[in-house]
Amino acid sequence: MIGVVPRFFYRLGQIMMFLGDVLKTLWHRPCRLELVLEQVWYVTLQSFPTTAMAGFFVGGIMTVQFAMQVNEFGAAAYLGGLSTSATFREVGPMLIAFMLSGKVGAFTSAELGTMKVTEQIDAIRCLGADPIQEVILPRFLGIIISSFFLLTGGLMLSVVGGATLGVLFAGINPQEYVRHIPTIMGWPSILSGIVKCLSYALVLATICTYMGYFTTGGAKGVGRAVVSTSVLTMVTIVVFDWGTSFLGQLMLSWFAIG
Amino acid sequence: MIKYKNLVKSFGTRTVLKGIDLHIKAGEIVFILGTSGTGKSVLLKNTVGLLRPDSGEIWIDGENVSGYSEEQFLSIRKKCGMVFQHPALFDSLTIYENIAYGLRKHFSMAENEIERRVEQALSLVNLDNILSKRPGEISYGMQKRVSLARTVVLQPKVLLFDEPTTGLDPVTTNSINTLIQSLSRKLNTTSMVVSHDMQCALKIADHIVVLDQGQVVDQGTPKQLLESEVPLVRDFLEEARNQ
Ligand SMILES: Nc1ncnc2c1ncn2[C@@H]1O[C@H](COP(=O)(O)OP(=O)(O)OP(=O)(O)O)[C@@H](O)[C@H]1O
Ligand SMILES: [Mg+2]
Repeated sequence: MIGVVPRFFYRLGQIMMFLGDVLKTLWHRPCRLELVLEQVWYVTLQSFPTTAMAGFFVGGIMTVQFAMQVNEFGAAAYLGGLSTSATFREVGPMLIAFMLSGKVGAFTSAELGTMKVTEQIDAIRCLGADPIQEVILPRFLGIIISSFFLLTGGLMLSVVGGATLGVLFAGINPQEYVRHIPTIMGWPSILSGIVKCLSYALVLATICTYMGYFTTGGAKGVGRAVVSTSVLTMVTIVVFDWGTSFLGQLMLSWFAIG
Repeated sequence: MIKYKNLVKSFGTRTVLKGIDLHIKAGEIVFILGTSGTGKSVLLKNTVGLLRPDSGEIWIDGENVSGYSEEQFLSIRKKCGMVFQHPALFDSLTIYENIAYGLRKHFSMAENEIERRVEQALSLVNLDNILSKRPGEISYGMQKRVSLARTVVLQPKVLLFDEPTTGLDPVTTNSINTLIQSLSRKLNTTSMVVSHDMQCALKIADHIVVLDQGQVVDQGTPKQLLESEVPLVRDFLEEARNQ
């Protein structure tokens, strides 16, 4: 039990060093653009249905939750604004990122882990190439770009989901649902949503490529890498969520004062 | 050609190589025998810098490579080709691109020259008509031979084979052993072959090294090995005689 905390920080340090290596490679020896685009295309195509569905239902759930409270105060007109803002700022990015960690993260770490334990990564080095440049970088960049699109796409669909369930459960017509969204959702909400999507995409891409790249111990090792990827990504995202909310509040209060 | 001086390598608390001292002479075929998990693959990987030793020295062609950086190892890897225990082919590339990979990365070579060399290498391992296939579409034995061709195509001075014939049929095994022999005789290539097969070691090796639990327990020419008193070597010999 005592070993857990030092081990966590040790791992964190390792991941940071790996991220440093990846960024250094990106700076000095970038990979071919078509490799990145291939990954973007592949990941987006593979995960769009999942994230779209997650987004739709997250929006829907928030609407149903808020509908009960809002109706009590006779403020049904604000339902759209409230639920959209809450989705964008908190649950939306987080839940969709969880979905992605189970899908993109697990897939990538399994793929890289298999390449590692079947000596393909070693073979790349022996044949005179750099595995970080050839294999890691395209996936790293591809995942960041496509996760960002998927996350924002999912958030868009959460509005649709919210409006749909608003019609079904609260009897609000869609125009009314949408009308008050801009009233409640200011730029800070949108900005916070975007910052979160970006940082979760970075977390996901870093952790899954790291876990895959440092897999050891055969098929079992690949299994371990996949599980660690999902768990570590989710935990880090929750911690990040707290961190960004905290920082966001702090910044907002500064702006309010200044 | 290759010298190991008191090479030690551990993973965590487990010491896998416990002070290896070896001298591989140029042009020789050296067989490394040992039971599973004694660190044969680890020894080969240390040689080309895929793993780094904890202590001890490795000399290749008069250079002490122990402290080399990843960039410095590039020239060593051009000189010393390694064939892995797994076929380790790249799934997303065709067989042709797999074999051409090293030629493209290590050398800048004209496309028709690459083509010529790839075809030549494939015929060396008795394969043809698979250039446009993907690794998933050919059998394991064929994958292993393609993997051999991928390394041989670079025409390195030193070849490190990690169990090149494990899992192959007797005919292919024979042809690969002949290939190793002819590369060494014709091109004066130095070969280190990790294997479990004492019988074929006795047939084609110039020098045999037996490892046990990370240490050299016996070594010598096939003739000397036949006289060995070491129990593990006797077991291997017994096994070879029964085949
Ligand atoms: N990257 C690594 N990390 C941790 N342990 C390792 C690593 N590589 C090898 N080992 C350990 O080192 C030991 C020796 O492994 P090695 O692969 O060299 O065995 P081997 O002699 O090649 O056996 P085999 O004939 O089965 O291939 C094994 O116990 C293995 O678990
Ligand atoms: Mg081995």
